[in-house]
Amino acid sequence: MIFWRYVYERLIICIATVVISVTIVFFAPRLVPGDPLGAVTLKLSQMGGNRGSPELVAEYSRRFGLDKSPVEQYVAYLRQLAQGDMGYSIASFPSTVGDLLKGAIPWTIGLMLVTTVISWSLGSIIGGVVGWTGGRSPLLQALVPIALVLYTIPYYILAIVLVFLLAFYWPIFPLTGAYTIGAQPSLTPGFIFDIIHHAALPALSIVLVSLGWWFLSMRSLIVSVKGEDYMTWAEAKGLPRGRIFWGYAFRNALLPQATGLALSLGHIVGGQLVTETIFGYPGLGYLIFNSIKTLDFPVIQGSILLIIVSVAIVNFVLDLIYPLIDPRIRYGAVARS
Amino acid sequence: MAGAIPIETGIAPAVLETRSVGRLLSSNRKFVVGGVIFLTLLIVALVGGIVLGPLALRSGVFPPRLGVGAPGAILGTTSLGQNILAQLTQAIPNSMLVGLLAATIGTVVGGLLGLFSGYFGGKLDAALRVLIDVFLAVPSLLFLILISSLLRGLGVPAIAVIIGAFAWAWPARAVRSQVLSLKERPFVQVGMLSGLSGVEIVWGELMPHLLPWLGANFINAFIAAILTESGLSILGLGSQRDMTLGMMIFWALNYGALLQNLWWWWLTPVIALIVLFLALYLVHLGLDEVANPRLRTQG
Repeated sequence: MIFWRYVYERLIICIATVVISVTIVFFAPRLVPGDPLGAVTLKLSQMGGNRGSPELVAEYSRRFGLDKSPVEQYVAYLRQLAQGDMGYSIASFPSTVGDLLKGAIPWTIGLMLVTTVISWSLGSIIGGVVGWTGGRSPLLQALVPIALVLYTIPYYILAIVLVFLLAFYWPIFPLTGAYTIGAQPSLTPGFIFDIIHHAALPALSIVLVSLGWWFLSMRSLIVSVKGEDYMTWAEAKGLPRGRIFWGYAFRNALLPQATGLALSLGHIVGGQLVTETIFGYPGLGYLIFNSIKTLDFPVIQGSILLIIVSVAIVNFVLDLIYPLIDPRIRYGAVARS
Repeated sequence: MAGAIPIETGIAPAVLETRSVGRLLSSNRKFVVGGVIFLTLLIVALVGGIVLGPLALRSGVFPPRLGVGAPGAILGTTSLGQNILAQLTQAIPNSMLVGLLAATIGTVVGGLLGLFSGYFGGKLDAALRVLIDVFLAVPSLLFLILISSLLRGLGVPAIAVIIGAFAWAWPARAVRSQVLSLKERPFVQVGMLSGLSGVEIVWGELMPHLLPWLGANFINAFIAAILTESGLSILGLGSQRDMTLGMMIFWALNYGALLQNLWWWWLTPVIALIVLFLALYLVHLGLDEVANPRLRTQG
């Protein structure tokens, strides 16, 4: 029973997240002075385009349903969204927002999955070992201040430095893009290498920064686990050191570390968006950046909604999973906190 | 990642006398070093801005693309002939202003919401809890992108206020959970029994326990706000009128400073940001140690 109550609460939060964000995304443009279409045409004319005759504007308002009441528009918007229809892009007109998003999603998800898996597992292992061996090795201890500095620096700052050093000064990696322009996407080893070659720098900048964070948190987790009674007990039993570390200390410290991963999802996404911009990596962040430049508002709205809804769903799934992997978290206890 | 500094929730730190807090802080090396670096940056920037005068910010005062060490513009100039040193003197106080305003709004609003929600409970608390979880789950950068792409041409204070408006969820959640545990403590029960009003208990009994923690969180929010502002700026959504460290990076990237090897242009704001973050992080660590005695004994 407690389990279902917990699921129900988490589900409410997931649904509330989606509803609140859809509402904000829908009403925010309408709170800005001037009607949305007028704002778009005005901005277009400021950029040297044609403002369009009043008849044209009236026709467009009718077609977009802007002559209806906000509530009616909102319901129509929800109905469209439910059908996966996010409208047309203004900057690259015949394409729909959905088309543009479909093109960008694989790059963002690919980069994020790879960097998160690498930094989380590497950071946990190194942090675990350093926390375990304590102050015995000065070399390992030197990693702590390095990790501190890395973790204080935002992703994109490191990204800029890396672009300069490894793409400009020593041109080992390409400057921008996800693959060489003109290359035919295919499953050949050459093209796969090309993709890895282009993803290496963005990935490196994200991995280095988040590695510092996972390293520090794992280190302190291991240090606190070391003081537990069951550790003394395992030692007293005469278990081999390796077994005590991996089977007792590391396993127990890994669970809060997994919870930390779920909690920092929002930060990971935000950091990745800006990093993509610096590398011109064609994911959602770069799409948003270009849409901001061209005032392509439907695309900005669409990308933001897509990311929020995905984050909400992933959070919901993680909320359900981690009490399963960590028996110390009881559903009731989580629900009350 | 700077926003994800772990916070010791659930434990109520012992109430510290104002004087002993001052003594603890001034003997805490991290706090002192961080604070001194921060103040030095601020004072040097402010004094530098006055010495150089507002005219120094204009473009075309100097020849474009001067390297480091040029007379009058020791940090070089941009490709528009702007004095980078002069830009820096405006950018550092502006970036700090963003942090100050946003962190104040976030901490005060979040702290109050958490306090009253946790203390009074009931329907309001249930609704607020959902709202807090929602805003924790959503990357706030996204809402900020949406809002600032609609409201173009904002100044630095307006951007700071918007960032602050989305920074209340963390303090609200943490304060709420602390209040929930404090409420069960005997001294609060005694207060209730002796007929103190709710507001009196919240201010007189709960607040002193929460203040040290709120201080550490304030610095945390300060860092997060500067981080957010520079992220927004790099996406092209910063203030077009005023210079911040993020906007300096945006303009440098926008004019291809990386590819033209005008390294002093992008490296100056990058180093300034890193120094600022490290200083604030040291202050945060120092405050944390004072607020949380368990960390202090660990050294």
